[in-house]
Amino acid sequence: MNYTFHWAPALKAWPQLLWGAVVTLEIAVLSMILGVMIAIALALFSKSNSKLLRGINSVWVELARNTPALFQVYMVYFGLGSLGLRLDSYPSLVVGITFNCAGYLAEAFRGGLRAIPETQVRAARSLGMSAPKVFIFIVLPQLFRIVFYPITNQMVWAILMTSLGVVVGLTNDLMGVTQQMSVVTFRTFEYFALAAILYYALAKFVTLGAGVLARRLFQY
Amino acid sequence: MKSVVGLAAILAASVALPAHADKLDDIISAGKIRCAVTLDIPPNGFRDDKNEPAGFDVDYCKDLAKALGVEAEIVETQLPDRIPALMSDRADVAVASTSDTLERAKTVGLSIPYFVYKQVVLTRKDSGITDYAGIKGHATGGVAGTFEGIQWENDVKKLNDSSSTYRAFQGQADAVLAVSQGQIDATPLINTMAEEMIKSGKYPNLVIAGDTPYVPDYVTLATLRQEYGLINYLNLFINQQVRTGRYAELYKKWIGSGDPVDLTIKGVYR
Repeated sequence: MNYTFHWAPALKAWPQLLWGAVVTLEIAVLSMILGVMIAIALALFSKSNSKLLRGINSVWVELARNTPALFQVYMVYFGLGSLGLRLDSYPSLVVGITFNCAGYLAEAFRGGLRAIPETQVRAARSLGMSAPKVFIFIVLPQLFRIVFYPITNQMVWAILMTSLGVVVGLTNDLMGVTQQMSVVTFRTFEYFALAAILYYALAKFVTLGAGVLARRLFQY
Repeated sequence: MKSVVGLAAILAASVALPAHADKLDDIISAGKIRCAVTLDIPPNGFRDDKNEPAGFDVDYCKDLAKALGVEAEIVETQLPDRIPALMSDRADVAVASTSDTLERAKTVGLSIPYFVYKQVVLTRKDSGITDYAGIKGHATGGVAGTFEGIQWENDVKKLNDSSSTYRAFQGQADAVLAVSQGQIDATPLINTMAEEMIKSGKYPNLVIAGDTPYVPDYVTLATLRQEYGLINYLNLFINQQVRTGRYAELYKKWIGSGDPVDLTIKGVYR
């Protein structure tokens, strides 16, 4: 290969890349929190008697799971923009990833809800607990145990999906910083290699962290 | 007899030691030159009605191929991807408005200028921006990796004002779309493209709000840094394009009437 790596100037950019990684993590965490909340609602919608709510659930899940995340993020920024609803790059990316996460997680949650025996709900109700109480104290804790690994997977996905921010003009996340650096210097390989290391570290941190958490939380 | 042995030895040596072929040799023996061209900066590079690559840069590549006696292959690349295309050997030369910054010359080999741009401020009619200084307090953006985008971003940073922001897009089309829709209020744009776009009538709400204060943007042909043979050839080729009047012809065909822009810099050799 006709290429001599210039690592020294690339490594000088390490602090900026690290700040980029912080922004990336922030976007991923934010969209996961919102995504989980919406996914619970969507999973409940899917069990609802209302045709409208079931319709919302299925349209959301179908769109989120069967179109590219790139398309979803792009549509939030430029698609909504053409309708006059203008979001800046950062919120557009958060909304796009939230939309995607909620769609995938809704299916996981729906499956999780089905795994909790109906008899438990009936038993709790007959002991005098109200329906919301049953959901919060009986169903949710078990649901989270069942969907813990899908959530972990989705979190890793969310981190990796933040790299789509570059298509909507985001410059301060890890991918944005990397790209800015590489276009100014044309040292694409160096900066992208450093970024890959950081993405890997973030993803690994999440999976290892989840493993530790799971051992603590789910011991019988 | 001695000379026969000597000759045989030389022949044997030339077979045993493969001659080091450089990029110029490779292009000639492959019979094909692959040009990385950006096709979202009309009129310099775009796709015509039949979806074929067209424009100043495309013709320039074809001329280069003709001079070399080889075929031209257009490799479409997004602006930020043209250099990776060279590095990964998907293209031999980038004919894609590469500004000749010193930072970049550490990585790629740049020819003498083959074109020069002025940068203008493109904005919406209702944005209230009338000149370059007017971008203060506005959300703005440009294309990642462009000469004007980098300078604009630096100036926005210097304003040190949270309401003056900069976004970097992947292509010129996205940046212009963002101005037109209102996600951002202004973007720097090369004069030729801005004029072409306003003439096209596709963006009735956009106007040019004066020039940017940047020095002229001299753009070059780019190849690998160590390919002196090819860089030498490219320099002579550019010189010949001007000398033979072909540059003026292409300028008239794609950019418009008037004198073609001067590619020399007064007071200094290149």
